[in-house]
Amino acid sequence: MAATQVSLPLPALPEGWAAEKDFKAIGHLSSATQRNIEPVGPYFLAHARRFGIVKKRHKRTFSEDER
Amino acid sequence: MSEEEGIPSRTAIGISFGNSYSSIAYTTGEGKAEVIANEEGEGEEFNGTQAKAQLVRNPKNTVAYFRDFLGKDFKSIDPTPCHASAHPIEHSSTVAFSIHDTDSESPSTVTVAQITTRHLKRLASSASDFLGKPVTAAVITLPTDFSDAQKSALSDAAKEAGVEVLQFIHEPVAALLAYDARNPETATKDRIVVIADLGGIRSDVVVVASRGGMYSVLATAHDYDLGGSSLDEVLIEHAAKEFLKKNKSAKDPRENERSLAKLKLEAEAAKKALSLGASANFSIESLVDGIDFSLAINRTRFEILASKVFASFTRLVESAVQKADLDPLAIDEIILSGGSSHTPKIAKGLQSHFPESCAVIAPATESTAINPSELAARGAAIQASLIAEFEREDIEQSTHPMVTVTPHLSSAIGVLCSSKSGEEVFQPLIEPETPVPIRRTAQIPAPKEGGDVLVKLCEGVREVKVTKPAPKSKTNGATVADAGSDSEDEGSDDEEEETREKVWKAGSVIAEAGVKGVKKGGKVEVQVNVSVDLSVTLVVREVGGKGGVRGDIEKPETVENGRV
Ligand SMILES: Nc1ncnc2c1ncn2[C@@H]1O[C@H](COP(=O)(O)OP(=O)(O)OP(=O)(O)O)[C@@H](O)[C@H]1O
Ligand SMILES: [Mg+2]
Repeated sequence: MAATQVSLPLPALPEGWAAEKDFKAIGHLSSATQRNIEPVGPYFLAHARRFGIVKKRHKRTFSEDER
Repeated sequence: MSEEEGIPSRTAIGISFGNSYSSIAYTTGEGKAEVIANEEGEGEEFNGTQAKAQLVRNPKNTVAYFRDFLGKDFKSIDPTPCHASAHPIEHSSTVAFSIHDTDSESPSTVTVAQITTRHLKRLASSASDFLGKPVTAAVITLPTDFSDAQKSALSDAAKEAGVEVLQFIHEPVAALLAYDARNPETATKDRIVVIADLGGIRSDVVVVASRGGMYSVLATAHDYDLGGSSLDEVLIEHAAKEFLKKNKSAKDPRENERSLAKLKLEAEAAKKALSLGASANFSIESLVDGIDFSLAINRTRFEILASKVFASFTRLVESAVQKADLDPLAIDEIILSGGSSHTPKIAKGLQSHFPESCAVIAPATESTAINPSELAARGAAIQASLIAEFEREDIEQSTHPMVTVTPHLSSAIGVLCSSKSGEEVFQPLIEPETPVPIRRTAQIPAPKEGGDVLVKLCEGVREVKVTKPAPKSKTNGATVADAGSDSEDEGSDDEEEETREKVWKAGSVIAEAGVKGVKKGGKVEVQVNVSVDLSVTLVVREVGGKGGVRGDIEKPETVENGRV
């Protein structure tokens, strides 16, 4: 997928900010919800292919189906 | 089997199999879905326009509205839609009909499975005639609440008809696929879509998070007593009353089966005419005791008569949105599918109920809308063309929960940017309800003068900001006195409406990264990789610059179980 273009600027680094290799892990993501993806459409097939299940055999898709 | 040996090549179509109508579609060599004009043959089980005519001629031997009986126990079905056609009977616990379908004097008992087989055979054969080669396989659309028993009964009935069911897909999801196939530029746009499938005797709604072209159902709602028939009934009542007004001594046409069937046929035709034009005519020869009947009705009158039914459609859609725990402002699009979606008032009602930011896609509201009666069949045809050449095993595995059930983000992931007034604003990079693993990249400007830049990765949630109009200035004393004597004046005084807008609120901080020495007018590229276990890798660098910062964020301790 192409990069999203954001228009608002990032803030300047605050005075005195320091971190090893300029990176600080602070928290972690909230837990996720298990949901069902509808097994339909070219983008789902690309997802299934990442599981190595569906072999690429069909020729016609309505668009490029790798992302 | 190796790829070279290949699998016997299938000719696969899409079938939308409804209680009221069925349609079939195929895809052209260029991958475009086309609906095959449905010529319905002569026969004894009916579904579609000819069924309606047959219901007048021979109601007892016409089977109509049978799909939802398939794979069900006789005790659990609702036979009401069949009151004017062959009645369902119990037959070794399943459902059957007793009809004269041969020249023999005595009626035969035909199970709903056999009826379905005949029906599918006929659909496949008209598709075969049209395509000039035998159709051997299909993707069939079904409501989201069809049980495994119902699906396996339908699969068996299709097999009997010589049709291999490649996959069952959900009717409303097929409609979304039909639109996305037509608009590939917007197919991968993240959005929340409500799809309402408004049919003949039932209506079904789903709320879908569409993320990168993949669909996750957030909520569903069903109404088994709401559909085009509810609108027909309003017109039947109206016409019957007008008839009795004009013919004081005539019998009530609603009390005679044949007269009622004629009224129903004409009511449906008038309703359809009112979807296009401003007025329609009922014209029935010999409605009761040889009395002819004609009546003109205009759209406004119809909309007033049916206002309760119209409100029910809006309520059903609204209830699905509530079940998904979403504010109406969160809905980007409402797609109307199913025959009743032709009705202008339904689309207009939703348009005025939902905020302006929500696009209602139906013939009355969007000139580029696809015929809603064809959406499900088109979607099925597209899916059929995608999987027609897969081996059975591949299809089964790819639709297995091992593949389809995945963790979805509960919050958005984004960064903090500076607004014009210098405040921190959350900029989402990945929307909530996105399935993981996922990778997203964004380019964000550095401050104008460049320098050292902070990338603060956060979670974010949607909130609705309500702005109340400025309160009218009143002296304290007057307000108190008013409240005592005349309290309902409150509010009605302030007619001005509050404004509601959706805003992002930053949640907990996940990580910080510093990008040093960005050049004047430079940009920073932020890449967020979320893996299946919700651990995150953040990569930031100046666009066109060297080096960059990379860091890992550990997964959360526990993973909550799904709510769906
Ligand atoms: N142009 C139109 N204007 C208004 N209503 C229409 C129009 N065309 C079809 N309908 C109505 O749509 C309904 C049938 O919808 P659809 O074809 O989606 O049914 P179905 O899926 O077979 O039925 P069900 O969902 O009840 O199983 C009928 O009530 C029909 O009168
Ligand atoms: Mg339907």
